[in-house]
Amino acid sequence: MKPSAFHSWGRLRPAIAQRETPAWRHEAQANPGPRLAIGLGRSYGDSGLLDGGTMVDTRFLDRLISFAPESGILRAEAGISLDAVLRFAVPRGWFLPTTPGTRQVSLGGAIANDIHGKNHQLVGCFGNHVPRLALLRSDAPQQECRAGDPLHAATIGGLGLTGIITWAELQLRPIRSAWLDVEWIRFHGLSEFLALSQESTTWEHSVAWIDCLSTGKQGTRGIFIRGRWSDHAELDLHRDAKLRIPFDLPGFTLNPLSIRAFNALYYRRFRGPTKHLRQHYAPFFHPLDSVHDWNRIYGKKGFYQYQCVTPTTAGTSPMEEILRLIRNANQGSFLAVLKTFGSLPSPGMLSFPTPGITLALDFPNRGAATLQLFKQLDTIVRDCGGRLYPAKDSRMSADDFQRGYQRLGEFERHLDPAFSSDFWRRMSRPTPQPRHP
Amino acid sequence: MTKPPYRAIVFGATSAIASAILREITRSHSAEFLLVGRNATKLGNLADDLRAYGANCSIHTIDFLDPTTDWSAIIEKQTGHWDLFLIAHGSLCEQEQALTRSIDVAHEIAVNFTSHATIAATCSAALRRQGRGTLAAIGSVAGDRGRQSNFLYGSAKAGLATFMDGLRHRHAREKDIHIVLLKPGMTNSPMTADIPKSPLFSSTAKVGALGWEAIRRATPVAYLPGWWRWIMFAIRATPAALFHRTKL
Repeated sequence: MKPSAFHSWGRLRPAIAQRETPAWRHEAQANPGPRLAIGLGRSYGDSGLLDGGTMVDTRFLDRLISFAPESGILRAEAGISLDAVLRFAVPRGWFLPTTPGTRQVSLGGAIANDIHGKNHQLVGCFGNHVPRLALLRSDAPQQECRAGDPLHAATIGGLGLTGIITWAELQLRPIRSAWLDVEWIRFHGLSEFLALSQESTTWEHSVAWIDCLSTGKQGTRGIFIRGRWSDHAELDLHRDAKLRIPFDLPGFTLNPLSIRAFNALYYRRFRGPTKHLRQHYAPFFHPLDSVHDWNRIYGKKGFYQYQCVTPTTAGTSPMEEILRLIRNANQGSFLAVLKTFGSLPSPGMLSFPTPGITLALDFPNRGAATLQLFKQLDTIVRDCGGRLYPAKDSRMSADDFQRGYQRLGEFERHLDPAFSSDFWRRMSRPTPQPRHP
Repeated sequence: MTKPPYRAIVFGATSAIASAILREITRSHSAEFLLVGRNATKLGNLADDLRAYGANCSIHTIDFLDPTTDWSAIIEKQTGHWDLFLIAHGSLCEQEQALTRSIDVAHEIAVNFTSHATIAATCSAALRRQGRGTLAAIGSVAGDRGRQSNFLYGSAKAGLATFMDGLRHRHAREKDIHIVLLKPGMTNSPMTADIPKSPLFSSTAKVGALGWEAIRRATPVAYLPGWWRWIMFAIRATPAALFHRTKL
């Protein structure tokens, strides 16, 4: 069979790999290696790619297995999209325990990257709500793992490296409405952002958009967004996006001028300091899903996303410094998000969130200039004891990965010998032996 | 009083498009399905899925090529009227290889035409007994014109289209009986996973939703999506001298 090209969401460079397309659970295979499962390809960097190997395309493993309406536990095949889960759940009065900024990720991908959402401060990560999963490994028959099992903890956020997740159970949360009562509040600077985060404890969902290119004495400007489920008892479902970016837009589409213009418009989308509104869950949680293939606005060269977390203990100064560097470099794009993580730990050994502030920001690929900026940002993240998110990464150093993820050694005991990824190969390059005193 | 469930019997239920149509039915109806197919494991997985969506399912395993199968016994195994008979099984082979072996040619025609015609004839009789209901079969745009790349499959589907045409004529005076031929275009399914995707490809979910729409509205011949009608019109209208220069 001819190999296929696989792109990750950042579209920097494709991986060329054999494709296997199991249509049924029993057709999925964990041998021979090297291999890696792929869902909907929404990881930004190379953690979801395996150049020269076999990619197990799980898109068609999208069936439900059972649903318990008393408890809200849904068991489904790992290739099902969160979009399809919502199509099932919402009319029945249930919702995802937490959701990322897009519905177009698979259940398996959500687990393997231990994704987080706007309610992290209250409910933790996706992996906090996966009581059970089934894993197909190259060195064992298919096995069930439950919360508490070491293999379960390794697989949550395990980047697909512990085998293929064939199915999983998800604890849904009940909703009475598909709508949220939402507030938008303008702010300036990180201290205002933190104050808003702290006074929003009664709001289940909170996040902030920031204008990463804004200047001014008051600091970075932004809009703090918080929402809670409404009493407006309508369980209407989201619709499919009508718009699509049909091809790579030319590279100059996004430049500092157009981004400034967009940010200025976005910042002025409402009058006065605050706005109250009722929003359906789709625009509130999944603004990116209103345009298919939006990643193509970054053009042929693709883009990076930089997502880091700086720990609470380090205060706001590292994040201030990061924002200052980005602004001075005149890079970054309009999709900049700031959020505080809560203290509920995920079971995942390689889970990204840790109490503190996280920044996620797209960068059009401008080659060396972009990578140079990232190096400077890395230094700040490293020095304050923060870390970077593998699901978004195409370039972090193996050192920073090892330093940032203390449970790495524990995780490595659960690696499946037949599974790997381009990210993992990058992280496993032999590092110089530590000098013994 | 609640509405009685929508009852369907589906031959080749595990086909990606049939599965998608069944899921679509469960979104708006309480449903009762008899899923007929070759592989018990696959039928079981599908039945679990549809049950989670709220349908009542039973399964029946069968070899579609067994000439001794008593199709009407399967249909009559469960009492009561069927709202829908859906025939969806099929096989898409590597044509160049198959053409060199008569047994493979015969097999393709047997799966994609002979068994469809056999089952459709039985369903036609059942519809006449019931006095109402819909018979739908999954044809293909490949049946609209013989093309060098897939005329083995295409000719079987063309035969099916003519057979369904005939049945529609046969039942023309029975107002509550509908004969529907669904003609999906290129669909994103495990069968086509390795083919580079063009904008002509549709998802099985979309094709399933449109297929259910066509069944519900009793559209005699439904292209899925509808714009395939115009593409196939152009392909049929192309003169042979020109057509034969293409690699379609």
